[in-house]
Amino acid sequence: MRYSDYLNKIVVKHSTISYNLLTPTVKDGDLASLKPKKIEINASQAFKLLFPYCYTRILEQVKSVAPLVAYLMLFQILVLRQPIESALTLSGGIIAVIIGLTIFMEGLNKGLMPFGTIIGDNLPKKATMFVVLVIIGILGVGVTFAEPAIGALQAFGSSVDVKAAPYLYEILNNWTLPLVLMVGAGVGFAAIIGTIRFVKGWSLKPMIYLALVPVVILTGYAWLDPNLRSILGLAWDCGAVTTGPVTVPLVLSLGIGIANAAGKGNSSLSGFGVVTMASLFPILAVLILAIIVSFSVTPEEIITAAAAASEIAKPIPSIWEKTPLVEIILGVRAILPLVLFLLFVLFVILRSSLPNRMITIYGLTLSIIGMCIFNIGLTYGLGAIGTQTGSILPAAFMELPISKFSPIFPELVGLIIVIGFAFLMGFGATLAEPALNALGLTVQKLTEGAFKKSMLMYSVAGGVAVGIALGISKLIIGFDLATVLLPLYAIGIILTIFSSEEFVNVAWDSAGVTTGPVTVPLVLAMGLGLGNAVSAVEGFGILSLASICPIVAVLTMGLIIQIINKSHKSQFEDEEESK
Amino acid sequence: MSERNITYLSDACLITCILQTGLAEEVLEAAKNIGAQGATINYARGTGIRERMGLLGVTVDEQKEVIRIIVSEDQADMVFEAMYLAGKLDTPGKGIMYVTKLEQVATYIPDSVLKKLA
Repeated sequence: MRYSDYLNKIVVKHSTISYNLLTPTVKDGDLASLKPKKIEINASQAFKLLFPYCYTRILEQVKSVAPLVAYLMLFQILVLRQPIESALTLSGGIIAVIIGLTIFMEGLNKGLMPFGTIIGDNLPKKATMFVVLVIIGILGVGVTFAEPAIGALQAFGSSVDVKAAPYLYEILNNWTLPLVLMVGAGVGFAAIIGTIRFVKGWSLKPMIYLALVPVVILTGYAWLDPNLRSILGLAWDCGAVTTGPVTVPLVLSLGIGIANAAGKGNSSLSGFGVVTMASLFPILAVLILAIIVSFSVTPEEIITAAAAASEIAKPIPSIWEKTPLVEIILGVRAILPLVLFLLFVLFVILRSSLPNRMITIYGLTLSIIGMCIFNIGLTYGLGAIGTQTGSILPAAFMELPISKFSPIFPELVGLIIVIGFAFLMGFGATLAEPALNALGLTVQKLTEGAFKKSMLMYSVAGGVAVGIALGISKLIIGFDLATVLLPLYAIGIILTIFSSEEFVNVAWDSAGVTTGPVTVPLVLAMGLGLGNAVSAVEGFGILSLASICPIVAVLTMGLIIQIINKSHKSQFEDEEESK
Repeated sequence: MSERNITYLSDACLITCILQTGLAEEVLEAAKNIGAQGATINYARGTGIRERMGLLGVTVDEQKEVIRIIVSEDQADMVFEAMYLAGKLDTPGKGIMYVTKLEQVATYIPDSVLKKLA
């Protein structure tokens, strides 16, 4: 007896049936009966199919949300010795975030992404370059509305002190729609430029320089105007908010499709660069908006208007302004325009039909439902926990009315603990970001192993960690954002000049990758909570610092690798010569 | 320069296993643990079952991973079984696998092994 026969007998039972019995046969000479029938699935089989499907997708989101939230909560309980307030609502909110993100991401993959691919593949064949660019530009606005993190910006606006930062208050409260539109326009413009770049094969370096010049000029202008200075944090943060899970893949799939159609899609780097542009142009757009606002109203008018608004007894919010209806409206308003526009392009301009109709409709429905649930979770989960931890954080080093133990530590120790907390949070949250892992793999392949995946991940995570720590210290110490940001960008530019094209692409894109739909609201809420607690003028700016620091980190790393490689080579050559 | 020589391997089988993306690692691990020497993996797109399942079709990923492993005839059943169980192919939508007999196989065989068998 063969060993394998022996094993067969003990492990599992085997039986054989003929496949002939399972395949259809011709009945009454009707060939149509050969066509496979719809598969009947009973309840238990459906469960077996659905369980792993749901399980893997939920697990993915749990992995990105749970560690961060757990870290925040544990830190608050163990170090700050402050019990979690309204823990039940919070956990409900966090669960809503997880479920909402799961459903949204699945909807994105099944519903929205196929659109992007089809339109990207077919549009250049049926329309002129000009029409293509216009469509891409409008799409940029649409995807910005659909970005989950953009809701966070609108949600946290009311916490700004009108007297200290009138223009910031005005924009976040009365100009929210123009704000998102401007950010969207920035993304749209970036998408247009990015696509032209794909087709023409331009280098990224000069584009970064050119994009930064107006940004820096406007930043300088806003910085010199004491009333506008407070807007800088918001403007620079907007760049980080836009590059999320909707914008990046959708714009990329379009751009790559178009580059392929133009026969220029072969460069291994063609996927990069759009993210960089999409995080620089919104900064410019928001700064322009702020300057427009500053010309149309004076700070005094805003303050009086705000005072008048707060004096009028708030009307009882109608049913449409209450949870969950308001979140549902926000969710529908975020996704529906994008979907309608995509359908318009597909039906009217491309004159083609919906691919795989049922699954696409299912995906689109999911993305809207997911967005609504995520919005609820944003309000009650991520936003609430972020604000709570942020506002109790200063108890580590100063006296706070809400904390019995404060100050818990001597001032210096407390400060170090808080900054260390921010550093670790940034590091952990970034390493957990799935997009970073994917970027790391791509980079490892691109550089033929010279830039290892782990090296990229650690330098990006380290950069974000330093950035968030810097941002937190900015709020506590109250130094000016521009005085840190501009030198950092200057360093970035200098490093860019000396780096090779590949590293420039990777480094500038790495910043956008790290700011996902979980990190952004959490960090924004924490910043605003902390800002209020230490009575800083505004709580923005953390995200912008968390964007530039990884750029500098990755560029530095890239240069070090270049230098090491060169010295290795020259050493080798020396040895050759000495022989 | 030595004369070049090809040694053919007989009694070889090819196990091909088509799985939903993401399941390949476990199956490969199981195959290697039970004696498979190596494997080739490539990506593919599947069609058929998914369209006929209606809305439940969304639970099956369109992207597939195809694993190909060459094994000896004696190993074949054991490796096949281990892969089947590791991939949980007895649940709907996971994948399909089959064994084919190979006519002629040749690759590098270390001299020491050749001498031992000669």
